[in-house]
Amino acid sequence: MSVYRLQQLKGHILPGNKFTAMAGPASPLTTHVLNTAMGVPGANIALSLHRQDPSSSAWSLITTGITNADGRCPGLITTQMFTSGVYRLHFETAQYWESMGETGFYPYVEIVFTINDPAQKYHVPLLLSRFSYSTYRGS
Amino acid sequence: MAAADSGPLTTHVLNTGDGVPAAQMSVSLHRLDSEMMIWSLLSVGTTNKDGRCSGLIGREAFGPGMYKLRFETGSYWEALGQTCFYPYVEVVFSIMDQDQRLHLPLLMSQFSFSTYRGS
Repeated sequence: MSVYRLQQLKGHILPGNKFTAMAGPASPLTTHVLNTAMGVPGANIALSLHRQDPSSSAWSLITTGITNADGRCPGLITTQMFTSGVYRLHFETAQYWESMGETGFYPYVEIVFTINDPAQKYHVPLLLSRFSYSTYRGS
Repeated sequence: MAAADSGPLTTHVLNTGDGVPAAQMSVSLHRLDSEMMIWSLLSVGTTNKDGRCSGLIGREAFGPGMYKLRFETGSYWEALGQTCFYPYVEVVFSIMDQDQRLHLPLLMSQFSFSTYRGS
């Protein structure tokens, strides 16, 4: 069964017709959340990937997901769907800190980035503490 | 000459790629209208030659709420004849305390950035 057909079936089953991150050939776009304050992966953080329509500037949701125990979220996007454009990764950071009984300065973190060459692999990590964050284009 | 009060919110942008302050970068401050759930633009500014921008908001106006400081990183690098992975950077933060002073720096290069709550 093709990855695309699996996604179609998931779209029927899951509410809101939103795709969730799923297994399949490796996504050309990956992320990794690290809790630098505690020196651990940022596990169970809700995130979403969006792409901006170049003509209307409207954002559309591509995937939602939750980081695993290693702070990663495989299956963000398929190679077919990964076209040039402006993307946004949204991380529910305040929710993450709240789940540990703490507060965070940032209600959420959004990283907006431009993909010019979708044939390349892009790694967009997030290093996070309660009062700071950083990101870089990795490999 | 007496220095003007820079206000309760200041920023400092550093170009870590070149090891220089990021001068002439456009920044804007927005507040989330919690009822309408839309962002309203409060002010715009440009970083000076030291990469700093102050006077974005007055003390009275900087009440509790959700704010967003937006940095036009794409335009900055374009003016230098370079590309940037990030067309802009928006840092969204919460203010709980009316008297809070906040220093919100941005350290950035063409392919990375970091920010923290400073003093």
